[in-house]
Amino acid sequence: MARIELTHVTKRWGGFYAVDDLDLLIEDNAFVTLLGPSGCGKTTTLRMIAGLETPTTGKITIDGVTVFDSDAGINVPANKRRVGFLFQNYALWPNMTVFQNIAFGLSNIKEPGLSVTPEGEIVRNPDAGGTPRKLTKEEIKSIVARVSAIVKIQPFMDRYPGELSGGQQQRVAIARTLAPGPKVLFMDEPLSNLDAKLRLEMRSELQRLHLSTGSTFVYVTHDQMEAMTLATKICLISNGVLQQYDAPLTVYNRPSNTFVADFVGNPAINFMNARGSQQADGSFSLRLLENYDAVFTPAEPVQTESWYAQAEKEIAEFDAKVRPAEKTNKDVPFNYPIAMVNDVPDSREPDREDWVVGVRPEFVHICEDGPIEGEVFSAMPTGMETTVRIRVGNFLLTSVVFGGITYRIGEKIRIRFTGSGATLFSRVNGRLVATGTVEVK
Amino acid sequence: MQAPIVSKQKYDLGKLWGIFGGVLFMYLFLGFMVIPCFNTLTSVFRETDAAGNPDPFAVIRFFFAGNMPLFLWNSIKLAVCLVVTVNVVGISIVLLTEYFDIKGAKILRLGYMTTLIYSGVALVTGYQFLYDQNGLMTKWLIEIFPGLNRQWFTGFNAVLFTMTFACTSNHALFLRNAIRGIDYNTVEAARNLGAKPFKVLLKVVMPTLLPTLFSLTVMTFITGLCAMSAPTLLGFNSINPEIVRLAGSSAADESFPQARAALLSVILAMCTIALLLVLNHYESKGHYLSVSKTKAKLVKQKIQNPVTNVLAHIYAYLLFIIYMTPVVMIIVFSFQNWGNVRNKVLDMSSWTLSNYFGNQDYVYQNWKGREMVSKGAISGVFGNEKTLGGIRLSFIMSAIAAALACVVVVIAVNYIFRHKKKKRGKLVEACMLFPWLLPTILICYSYRTFFNSNVFYVFGQNLYMRENVRILIVMAYMVVKLPFAVRMIKAAFYAIDEELEDAARNLGASPMITFLRVKLPIVLPSVLAVFALNFNALFSEYDMGATFKKAEGTTYAMVIQSMCEDEGRNNVNMNASGRRCASTVFIMIISGLILYLVYGVGARDLGERLAIRERRRKRLQKIGRRLGLSHAAAEDAEVRID
Repeated sequence: MARIELTHVTKRWGGFYAVDDLDLLIEDNAFVTLLGPSGCGKTTTLRMIAGLETPTTGKITIDGVTVFDSDAGINVPANKRRVGFLFQNYALWPNMTVFQNIAFGLSNIKEPGLSVTPEGEIVRNPDAGGTPRKLTKEEIKSIVARVSAIVKIQPFMDRYPGELSGGQQQRVAIARTLAPGPKVLFMDEPLSNLDAKLRLEMRSELQRLHLSTGSTFVYVTHDQMEAMTLATKICLISNGVLQQYDAPLTVYNRPSNTFVADFVGNPAINFMNARGSQQADGSFSLRLLENYDAVFTPAEPVQTESWYAQAEKEIAEFDAKVRPAEKTNKDVPFNYPIAMVNDVPDSREPDREDWVVGVRPEFVHICEDGPIEGEVFSAMPTGMETTVRIRVGNFLLTSVVFGGITYRIGEKIRIRFTGSGATLFSRVNGRLVATGTVEVK
Repeated sequence: MQAPIVSKQKYDLGKLWGIFGGVLFMYLFLGFMVIPCFNTLTSVFRETDAAGNPDPFAVIRFFFAGNMPLFLWNSIKLAVCLVVTVNVVGISIVLLTEYFDIKGAKILRLGYMTTLIYSGVALVTGYQFLYDQNGLMTKWLIEIFPGLNRQWFTGFNAVLFTMTFACTSNHALFLRNAIRGIDYNTVEAARNLGAKPFKVLLKVVMPTLLPTLFSLTVMTFITGLCAMSAPTLLGFNSINPEIVRLAGSSAADESFPQARAALLSVILAMCTIALLLVLNHYESKGHYLSVSKTKAKLVKQKIQNPVTNVLAHIYAYLLFIIYMTPVVMIIVFSFQNWGNVRNKVLDMSSWTLSNYFGNQDYVYQNWKGREMVSKGAISGVFGNEKTLGGIRLSFIMSAIAAALACVVVVIAVNYIFRHKKKKRGKLVEACMLFPWLLPTILICYSYRTFFNSNVFYVFGQNLYMRENVRILIVMAYMVVKLPFAVRMIKAAFYAIDEELEDAARNLGASPMITFLRVKLPIVLPSVLAVFALNFNALFSEYDMGATFKKAEGTTYAMVIQSMCEDEGRNNVNMNASGRRCASTVFIMIISGLILYLVYGVGARDLGERLAIRERRRKRLQKIGRRLGLSHAAAEDAEVRID
């Protein structure tokens, strides 16, 4: 079991900061997904932990052992870190059979106190001393037999990778990674090359593998569905900067800013610009969708003034330590999308009375007595659910309705925001102010 | 908690190997590239006047005062004309076989590609055999055009004609690939928008071929400038033959022969560098890149106008005849007896294998009428010790040089890739490509002059003395083939998915294990292809052999040349022409076999290779079972076969 700790890790190429001052703690036996859009630095982070990329500065420890420390001049090479890495394209060596692929890592092990159980499990006991030794052919065979049984590839041991299907190649890659008994298993978008059905199957198998091996899994993906379904914790990165590191449902229900709220969830959250102020009872009196008055009631008390003071302090601290990234695009706040029929740019500089209300599609309820009037802009039934886009004035809202309901384009309907999962963000800095309910009058 | 492993403080065996490799590399680079060439460059300015005082510009003054600029002018004239003729023929053969719908295109392509297996001195002597004043083709041509000058195939005309058809092999390979890479949808789109076929060719197809054409033009220009075998054998005063002549001359015969040869080499090098810089500048500007996600395969275009279609077919088959005639004639005459070959008469009733395996005596009457016997004067390629010796020497030296070039380049390219973002990686690559900047003749001339004395860093040996010259030839062979090998093998390394290497490192493999077990098996087919192509080129190589001209280093090509020169002299070598035809056929077979192995067998993808291996394994198992071998014995047999 292993605990991974990254402290002030930065990776820079020239003036471009791929990963910027990242602090991250991955607990033993966790299944952590590094989530973010393409080019955000998640793969770089993973490769730095595995030793395939050298950080510019910072410190990385695995299982209490410092594997990289720029100040102390420590950089343990990749082949000595004992971490497994599952590559996006599997990286199976085409010139070796399945057996040879899996046995390759085992043939490189040379340690003192090495033994193999009759079940084919490596037991490492370096404290036992003795001269370092390599695994015997029989031992390698028994280990390969064990891991190949886990991923069910025993019938293909004499085949070459080119003779296997995508799913079989994936299994071989997993077996090859598991064989040397890594402390941690890193996976770099390992399901992205599989078709949708197989991906779903493999997702479930990875979950079971995590349970059966008891290893720490770190998984890179840009697919938020994969992250939500597999992880015990999601680490959401944007532009090399950590945005949120929480359990999947926390990330979904309490996104720390508009970027996280927008990135997680499919269909995406409905953002609505709102203007108004906090009332004496703590609620927010808002005007949204141009013509509608609404009240946002926070689930937990929040004081606007003190909240802004705290946020500004944090932002100042962040700005002080974070260097400008490529073209200083980290200074530009996330441009959250407001869905409109005809785009109307809003060039007004936001002030403290400007807010963004976020409502997930499942909380946009179509009902006869709803306060908001709209018409069906498009409807996409999948059988299990129907995604309806509703036009309200110039704005578009998305609703998800359970079941295959047929809507007519242009049909007049009424809607209501339900549940307590609405989110209120500051338009000034994009940060989450509170979660709660939003009621349109 | 375990103590951290501090990689900075670790001095392992790998680092020692690295230092050793670096020192060896610098020794080879400085000792066999920089110092000899620098010596040539400076030798131009080291001459003295009659009083023995240094006169650095004496050679240059002599150069401009004498007829030396003529050689330069002739070479430039040849290069410019060659650019035009080779491009016209090269583009024609590619368009006729790949773009237009010409009947019998497959056969035509085979004919046009014969220069791949039939080139260099073999091709030049073959053309000479057919087109010189007594040549078979000249006789036929005079029958058709009685006014034709019997001597038409000499000097510039002969060189230009021969080289035009000899130098289209690059077009046949690279332009063909470029035209095959065109997305047919772009052609269809132009047609759909009303463009006429000629406009489509000019505005859509040709612009995409321009980068390749430009590279081919520059390479053709350099080839023309550095032409050696054709001008030497067909009698044309260009730079390279003059360098070789001067290198073999002495100060007793003429002024500053060595320094003038050096100056000509340097001029040639400057021209080459200038052209390569132009090429590099052009390539750095970027090209038109296809934006197609899915490319449609090019469909051959029918020539709609019937007259144009007929004319195109006539032109295609005329070119085919020009390409094929020497090949067919050489093959046919290699089976004719020596009398027919010397008289260039085709006698359908006298076929013989004596040009291949013969070893007969020649009986003749001397001027007194006495019958004399010249022992072994009619001998075949494999029955003549001199020819066999040339074959043997060329075979061994080419094989060693090609293998050394591959080993050096594989190690260097692996290093370049491991340090590709660092200056040292780029430095090693620049060193490996260095010979590309210098004409072959400059390198060989530099070797010949510099190592023709006791050089301290080669253990005080004179490498041009006696058999030592073979080491020098091998080194020269290897050095001139390095740039080509670097470009090809680097491309193979590029094709390796970096994740394969990362995966090996992640599974605990050291860089050496990763190289040997992961990278090398993947690039091995490309390395073998480079070995084969280099061997092929070196085996019948003429330019270097002529520059080093030495009895102990007489290569196969030099033997062929000498066969032309001393045929029938003193009643020996009576069937030299026939033997030359036979040896050309032998070269064609060897080259064809190698090209088949490289592009036929070697081009099979891994899947095909594995399928073949699997079939072989199963066959062996079956045989083992039939023979009643034990399972272990059968396995053992499989291992030995693998």
